Amino acid sequence: MTHSVRHTRRSIIRAAGGLGATLVAAPCVWSSRARAQEQTLFVNTWGGSWTAAEETAYFKPFTEKTGIKIRTVAPVSFAKLKAQVQSKTYEWDVSNAGIVEYSQAVVEGLLEPVDKSIVDPAKFPPGNVTEFGVAGVSLGTCLVYRKDKFPNGGPQSWADFWDVKKFPGARSLYNRSFTNLAFALLADGVPADKLYPMDIERAFKKLDQIKPHIKVWWTQGNQSQQLIGDGEVDMIAMWNARAQEMIDRGAPMQIVWNGAENYGGYWYAPKGTPRAKLAFQFLEFVSHPKPQADFVNILPYGPPHPKAFEFISKETAKKMPTNPDNLRVSHVPDAKWLAPRLPEIRERFSQWLAT
Amino acid sequence: MAGQLTASLPAAGAAAPARAAEGQSVPWLLLAPATLALVVMFVLPIGYVLLLSITDPALSIAHYKRIFSVPLYTRVLFNTFTTSLTVTVACLLLGYPVAYVMTRRSDWVSTVLLMCVAVCFWTGFIVRTYAWLVILGNKGPVIGIHQALGLGPPPRLLFTTFSSTLGMVHILLPYMILALYSVMKKIDPNLLRAAASLGARPNASFREVFLPLSLPGVVNGGILVFTICLGFFITPILLGTPKDMMISQLINQQIEELLAWGFASAVAVVLLVATSVVLAVYNRFFGLDRLWG
Repeated sequence: MTHSVRHTRRSIIRAAGGLGATLVAAPCVWSSRARAQEQTLFVNTWGGSWTAAEETAYFKPFTEKTGIKIRTVAPVSFAKLKAQVQSKTYEWDVSNAGIVEYSQAVVEGLLEPVDKSIVDPAKFPPGNVTEFGVAGVSLGTCLVYRKDKFPNGGPQSWADFWDVKKFPGARSLYNRSFTNLAFALLADGVPADKLYPMDIERAFKKLDQIKPHIKVWWTQGNQSQQLIGDGEVDMIAMWNARAQEMIDRGAPMQIVWNGAENYGGYWYAPKGTPRAKLAFQFLEFVSHPKPQADFVNILPYGPPHPKAFEFISKETAKKMPTNPDNLRVSHVPDAKWLAPRLPEIRERFSQWLAT
Repeated sequence: MAGQLTASLPAAGAAAPARAAEGQSVPWLLLAPATLALVVMFVLPIGYVLLLSITDPALSIAHYKRIFSVPLYTRVLFNTFTTSLTVTVACLLLGYPVAYVMTRRSDWVSTVLLMCVAVCFWTGFIVRTYAWLVILGNKGPVIGIHQALGLGPPPRLLFTTFSSTLGMVHILLPYMILALYSVMKKIDPNLLRAAASLGARPNASFREVFLPLSLPGVVNGGILVFTICLGFFITPILLGTPKDMMISQLINQQIEELLAWGFASAVAVVLLVATSVVLAVYNRFFGLDRLWG
């Protein structure tokens, strides 16, 4: 919030008022600019290589096909969704969220129901078009280890990750509560299809064992790359395409798909956006296999449409979380179960971390 | 800055004595834009946060009960204040000598130091934080030298409370130095010469003359660094351990991950009240009016 600091005495005031300013100032922007350009769609995106890939795979072909221009707003902000819907002022009309955030947003009533006359669910695989969104690519959060540290083979499961005697070395995990709870239960021998409803007590007990060996709980994607890339840690849980990017550049790393979390996402339009029609045209476009394949050929995340693999080489497909071989050994977080419990789980996890 | 403004006002008034009577309302008119800006950009948002904290999602004080019943929040709040205090004291100890040299020397040394401080000041804090990841990292120079000297297994530098504090001190040090420098520069060097001519040794003239006159800078810099530090969280996340968690990280989590704005507001209000209490105590003993020199 106030980590971006200014240069005057006013920062004293701003430090205290930063939250207030964020809450109040965030909504009152851009609406006039957007209204002037009816045929422009504002897409909320992550920025960097992610947006570059979207540009090639989604935005350019979409504009060519429909004539609708795309402008991007970065980075993805879940809080801004709420700010926009509450203030009825829209900086962007399309964004994407992970399945758990999507479920939270549905519970809070922040999403525009998908216009089925524009996006026909019957044209797409079951589950890809839901009431408030369409499926986007999924991220694999995988166990990754440094091959130079484990020349005779590294950890092959979360049970191995927990086995500090057999696989000594510094470790890092992703600071997301439910992801770690699931990994802990897998390490404790719970089968992947029995993770939910989650035995939270058991998960925290198992996490207690590994806690002293976790050097860093990372929060940002580039942080995870720095940690394993510089050899600060010898094994880590990280996003598959982030690891793949480094492996392609020659880093001595191995991705272990066994036990990976396959975290899907949805494209959605914020409730009440005046450009909902354009937004759903875009959602329809990105639900087709070809654009999805174009995207994951650049960043090897998981396309939700099985036919996308027809446009992907066998070699590349192996790197993707929704590749059937990888999917078989992965698990999917139960968003419906998690969403209402998330505040409690997050709080307990933060407290557990801080003590 | 404010001191200069008020100092120049009487001079302007003396230049136009005829307009003194009708000018009574002029200062108030001049204040109006600033007051309006302050109300719109500061008072209203704070009021809104206060309101949210007891009305979102329903009218109750449940958020406050939760803050004080779940150990996480008070613990992190306490840590936020102790960390800010440590950083402030470290900045003062490191910054005072630098600002002193910058003031007392009028040659190239002063210029070079000022340049260094300014460059540091203008470099993004994320960049400076990542720089520490490299410097203290496994492949960094510190570990390298340690290994070259054969001093045994390398010490754990990174991802400790030490590295987190170090990073914050580095980022906030320029604020302290510039706050001190702006006050020290205004101290008349003749006062020190007068002290010397009256027989004071350098130590005594520093202690009796320079140090007291520089205290407004200490107060100013201290409050500046302390309050900015209260809102920090990226640097502790990247360089520290989860135990170094700062309260704004929890506020951010509540807003961004959980959309729990009511609860986030309540935490922010508690932070605001706690900060006000600290400043009130400070004011009681040291006097905030020293801020203006």
